[in-house]
Parts: sequence; structure tokens; C-alpha cells
Amino acid sequence: MAQQRKVWEADLDEDFQDVDLNLAIGTYGQNGLYDDAQSRVDEATLLALQQQMAQQAAFAQIPDVVKRFIAHFHQAVLDNNLAEITVAYESGWNRLTEKFYAKTEWPEAEVIAPLVNDDQIFLILYRELYYRHVYSRLTPDIDDRFHSYENSCELFNYLLNSDGPVPLELPEQWLWDIIDEFIYQFQSFCVWRSKVKSKTDEEIAMLAEGSQVWSSYSVLNVLYSLIQKSKINEHLVALQEGKSPEEIAEIVGEYGTRPLYKLLGYFSIIGLLRVHSLLGDFTLALKVMENVELNQKSPFTRVTACHVTTYYYVGFCYIMLRRYPDAIRTFVSILNFILRMRQYHTRSYQYDQINKTADRMYALFAICNALSPTRVDDNISNIVKERYGEQFAKMSRGEEGIPAFEELFLYACPKFITANPPPYEDPEALQGYIDEPPVEPAQRHLQLFLAEVRAQAPVPTLRSFLKLYTSLDASKLANFLDADEEDMVQQLMVMKQASRSISRVDEKSLLDGQWISTSDLDFVINQNMVHIAESTVGRRYAGWFIRNTEHAQRVLDTLRNAPLPIPSKPTEANKASKAESTAPAAQAPARTGGKQVAWGSAKAA
Amino acid sequence: MVTTAANWVAPPTRPPLIETLVSGVDRYNPSNVGILEDYLYHQIRSQEYDCLANLAILKLYQFNPDLYNPDVVINILIKALTSAPFPDFSLCISLLDERPASATSTAAAANPDEPDPLPQLLPVLTQLHGLLQQCRFPRFWALYRSDAVEALRDNYTVECVGFEDAVRDVAVRAVKAAFTSISSERLGSYLDLSGPELTAYVEKLGWTIDAATGVVSVPPNPDNQIESTVVQESIQLPQLTKVIAHAAQTSLPVVSAV
Repeated sequence: MAQQRKVWEADLDEDFQDVDLNLAIGTYGQNGLYDDAQSRVDEATLLALQQQMAQQAAFAQIPDVVKRFIAHFHQAVLDNNLAEITVAYESGWNRLTEKFYAKTEWPEAEVIAPLVNDDQIFLILYRELYYRHVYSRLTPDIDDRFHSYENSCELFNYLLNSDGPVPLELPEQWLWDIIDEFIYQFQSFCVWRSKVKSKTDEEIAMLAEGSQVWSSYSVLNVLYSLIQKSKINEHLVALQEGKSPEEIAEIVGEYGTRPLYKLLGYFSIIGLLRVHSLLGDFTLALKVMENVELNQKSPFTRVTACHVTTYYYVGFCYIMLRRYPDAIRTFVSILNFILRMRQYHTRSYQYDQINKTADRMYALFAICNALSPTRVDDNISNIVKERYGEQFAKMSRGEEGIPAFEELFLYACPKFITANPPPYEDPEALQGYIDEPPVEPAQRHLQLFLAEVRAQAPVPTLRSFLKLYTSLDASKLANFLDADEEDMVQQLMVMKQASRSISRVDEKSLLDGQWISTSDLDFVINQNMVHIAESTVGRRYAGWFIRNTEHAQRVLDTLRNAPLPIPSKPTEANKASKAESTAPAAQAPARTGGKQVAWGSAKAA
Repeated sequence: MVTTAANWVAPPTRPPLIETLVSGVDRYNPSNVGILEDYLYHQIRSQEYDCLANLAILKLYQFNPDLYNPDVVINILIKALTSAPFPDFSLCISLLDERPASATSTAAAANPDEPDPLPQLLPVLTQLHGLLQQCRFPRFWALYRSDAVEALRDNYTVECVGFEDAVRDVAVRAVKAAFTSISSERLGSYLDLSGPELTAYVEKLGWTIDAATGVVSVPPNPDNQIESTVVQESIQLPQLTKVIAHAAQTSLPVVSAV
């Protein structure tokens, strides 16, 4: 904590130093050294004047519609009018971006300041959007990276270090985006920082000086501070204990009762999950989630992106903890959720992002399923077969599948970072760093993962042989495999281990779990005799009967709703034959394609 | 019920002070590294093991490179080695960052007489871990007893009380799951024991050894009891809600209408 606070204060101090400096210059001018001061003032005013003129020119450039938008946006924020803010944030900003700022920056905050009466809080929020736009549409330079960090610090300072909770309200989605973007910029900075070769001398000098900018400590500090301020963990525990809203309000205090702090706190937990994963600490990543229940009906948020991020990182951490059944369950649950969401959710940039993450999860799912083959959700495994069928087939064949594992892992893993910058402050060490660059973090994690995969490599072949027998002499099996008997017996032990895994059965905490068997094929060795047992899944009737019952009900409904036959002879015969012919015709698809019927029924109901 | 994983997350031997460090934000405070390091040496002496506490040390090293102490790292890795098939070893390596390469230059420059031992020992440790991971127990022992591993044996594992027995535990776990009976020769090669030593070890485990044939029988446990089963589906009420609701809605009025 001490260290944490120190870093935080260091940031504060820097800000204060700037202020002090200005004050110092001001008093210095009034303190009597007139001549000197006079010229300084002139120079300063001249500069200020120039700057002002430049800003005025820039201001004149801003299209009127943008000016009106900003003024309106500002008013909405002043009024804490969530509906208006949401409209401005989700549609206004994006529409104007497309129209005027698709390839350039929005006007700088200083330029639009007159429009918003120099409202510092709004300008901080404005810069949050401004930099996010730079990161997503343009290429941020070193100044953008440093300034976006400073602006984030200012924003969090304002939220955390004002007297009491701030009277600000922002839409859920924006709050999520603030935390999400903060971590994204941190990660982006770390990656950019590690590429020493492409840096100019000026950039190296700035990086040497600003080693605190985007430091891991400062980022964790923000997230932990938000968590503590909002008492979100206490809140989650109280909810699980079934406390009443009054009791909870008591527990979480003046900050935690406000949606702004509560949500920022919750998103910060997810943020920690992500940061720890990026830094390669998969255990801690899941440990910070201790009090979060994995459930899409979370009482906390309806932000889809938040759910998707949560499940992606939790699932990935499970892979790195070699808990494939848990990873599979996590991915299946969120991928089904995304499939269901698809019909409601077609909105723009978030939807693209969600789809990309979903695709990476299908790849991770394929990896897990190859390492721990189990009967799984048909919906999801069909899509996986469609997208990654080729890789999956390779991965299920042991050693020769290693390149496929490598390909999918690198595609689907998080963008890992290193915790520390290259030694920018030490030119000699920096040269050493350039001559002998360290292994990239993604490569390091890949190698660790592949070591695990290689250890399991003999399993698929053994499995395919064992499936054919109920008992078999070990020497005979070794013969088939053209392997040494002792080696083969040791591989059988590996196979046994690979078919067991720790898995969360009904435990609440994400790290908890029990040993379960994950394979339908089991065996045991009695001296030299291998006995094999297979558990099979009995035929499933329920789905078929349910679908057909539902179908029969619909047919009956149709018949009942049909107009009564007019009692004239020829038409009656006609109707009857028609009714007869529709029934079997409608029934036919039920037999062949059950799914279509299920969808049809949903529409009818 | 205390599960295997729960024990791993929070071993019953973990003192309250360490629990606060591991679970709270104080784990980031560099001045606490000494407490955690002392706890590691306590684990080394008393055959305890606490993975999360050791990961907390590595986390502090990750964030504060100047705290880095290679002896501590090596001891952590030795401890993690014998938790196979749990992935502790890889989890520890994950946190080592690019250290081995970059640390050599700075550490060597600072102290040329005492080069950092980690870059030399890390490949050996990784190799040993690989062999355990693949259940290559006889090869593990061969490598472990070889000259190549002398530095590790003489300087580190000798200090780690019960290291060899901890490795045997790894082998015992693997054998227990896969065998109902095993020849004493094969078991001996896994445990690096023979003759009376092996007999004594087997008896300590509560297993029985047939004096005439030399076959060791492994007591039944959930993993070495196999059974062919057929999993039958069970239908849940929610699956039928639509059918039942529909029946309730429609069946009555039609009859009365006619």
C-alpha cells in the first residue's frame, strides 16, 4: 500500500509542481527586477497572444454543427441528464467522427474551451474521447501517449481525491469504456515502449525521463483505488449473503451507493483480471475475481462488452492453469450468449469488437477440446468445426499438431506485455538490449504452453488404440506402437493424468475446484495387463420427443383455427384431403432437421 | 469439504500474516518481500508448500527488478517442481519476464565474482520439470544424479528438506491413478529405491508387497477403479414448460366451444 500510495502521490506531486512553477514565475515578475521582468512579460504575452491567435484560427475552423454538439453535450453533462449524455456519447460523437474527423483529430480541448466556459471537468471528459479517437483511428505519437496518461490521471484524481463523491453521472457504457480504454492504452504503450529500435533520440530521452508514465504500479494503483473507494468487494459479498438494500447502503458508504463509483469499482475488478493476465499472472487474475459470480445476469451491468471481456480472460486463465473443462464451460456459456445477442445487437464498433473476441474464443475452444476431448455443446462445436476444423483435426493428432496449436494460440492469446521498460535511462544497457532483445512475452507464454502440449502428445495415439480393446497386454500395445514397453507404460500414466483435471463443480470461487475425470475412456494397469473401460452416452430421446410434441401441437392449432368447412359436397372432400396432406408434409421436416422446427416454434410462440 | 484446489489456494499451514499479504493489496509493497522470503525458507525447511505466497514474491520481483534474488527464485522453482501435475512450475516461469537474459549483464557487472546462477540452472530445472511432467521418472533420477545437475544438488536441493521424497510423491500419485498392481522392479525405478528401502517405502504408503512374486498391489482409489457406464439423459422440467403451457392454454376452450 505504501508503495502504491507513493506512486499515486508522485503523480499528484508532478501536477502540483507544474502549478507551483507557474506561481513562482508570477511572483518573480512582481518582485522588483523590473527590466528583466518586463522583457519576460513581453515575451510571454507575445507567446500567449500568438497561441491565442492560433487557437482562434483553429476555433474558426470548427464546423458549426460540431460547435453546437459540444455545447449541447456540455449542457447534458452539467445537467447530469443521462439520456442526453447517452445520445451524445453513443450516436452524436460517432456520427460527427464519421463526417468530419474520420482521418484527423477532433479539435483540441484548449480550442473548444470557450464553448464550455472552460469547464475543466468537461474538458477532461472531452480529452478522454479525444485520445480514444486518436488511438482507434490514427497513430498516437509519444505526446499523445504521455498526454492521454496525464488526462487519465487527472480524471481519476478528480474522481478519487475530491472532497467526497463527485456529483457526476455517466452512462454505464461510457464508464466501462473509460476503464477498458485505460487498460488498452497501457497495454499499447507497453508494446510500443518495448520496440527500442524504432525510437528517435528525442523519444528515448522522454522515455528515460518519464519512466513513471504508464508504469504497472500506477495502473494497478488506479484500479485498486477505485475498488477500495467503491467498496465493491464488500458490496458483492453482501449481495451474496442476501443483505437488504439498506444494509448494503450502510456497508458501501457514500461512494459505493452512487452508480458511478459502484460501476467503476466493478469494472476495475474486471480491469485487474485483464492486467494480471497481460502480465502473465493467471492465478492472481482469477483470485481478484473471488467475489464476482460468473453469470450473464449480473446485477451490476448490462454492458455486453464487459461480459465478453470477463469470460475471455477467465477462460484464458483457465487454459494457462491447465483447467480445460473449466475453460470450455466458460467459452461455451459466453459464446452461446453472443449467438443469442446477435439478433438484438448490431450496433457499430462494439459489435465488431465483440465478434473479434468471439472468434478468438472459438479458437481457444478448439485448443481446449483437442487437449481434453469431451462431449460438448453441439451449437458451438459445429461453429468451431466450420472455422477451425482443419486446425482441430491436426491438433487431435499429437506431435504433428504442434504448429496448429502454435498458430491458434498466437492468434487468440491476449496481447501480453512485460512489466518493465527497456533500460532507456542507461545507453549502454539499452545497446545491449538492442543487440540481444529478450524473448517477446507472447513467445514465452507460447513456449510454456507448448511444453504442456508436447507432454501430452502421445495421448491421442494411445487413445485410438485403447478404444479397440477391453484388455490388452502392455508388451503387445508397445509392439503396435513400435515403442519401448517401459516408455509406453510411462506414457499411459501421462494419459491418465491428462484425463483428470481440477474443475469447478459447485464451488463459488473461480480458483476452487475438485478433481474430475474428463475422458470417456478410462483404463487401469494390472501389472502388465491394461484393462479398458469406456463410458458411452445413451441415446437421447427427449429432444426429439419434445420437438415433435411441439410440432404436433402446432399442427393441431392450425387445424383448429382453420375455418369450418362449408357443407357442400365437392369442397368438403377437397378440404379433408388438404388437411390430410398438410399434416404429413409439415411433419416431414421435423424428422430430418429438428432445429428448423425448434426455430419455427419460437416464431409461432 | 476442503477440496484439493482449496488447499492449493490456501494451504492450512499458511499463517494469518501471509494470508493478509497474499489476499490484500499489501502484496505489492516491496518492503514486505522479506516476510515472504522468510516464509519460503520456512517452507524449504519444514516440507510445507504455498504456491500463491511464492508467486507473490515473483510478482514483487517482476515489478521491482532491484529486489531480484536468484537464490530465492531457484528455491521457488524447486518447490514448484514437485507439485506436478499441477502447473505451478509454468506459472512461476510465467512471472520471470525476460529476466534471465537481461539480469545476467547487470548482475555480472555489479558483482563479477558471483555470477547469477539462474541462467545456468534454469535449463536444468526446466528439463527436470519436463521429465516429471511426462512421467519419465527413471530418466528424471538418472539426470538428477548426473554430474550436470551437481550444482543444483550441492547448492540447493540438499537444503530443501524432503526434496527426493517430494519427487517420489509425484511418482506415487501417478502410479496410484494408473495401476492396480505393479512389479516392484518397475516401481523401484520410478522411486529410485530398491531392496529393503523400497519395501519400507511401500509399507509406509500402506501398500502391500507380495514377498514371493515381488508384485506391489495398489489399494483401490477412485482413479484406478474403472467401470463401463452408459450415461442416460435426464429430462428437466424446464425443457417441458413450453409443451405443458401450450396444453394448458389450448385444450379446454375448444371442447366447450363445440
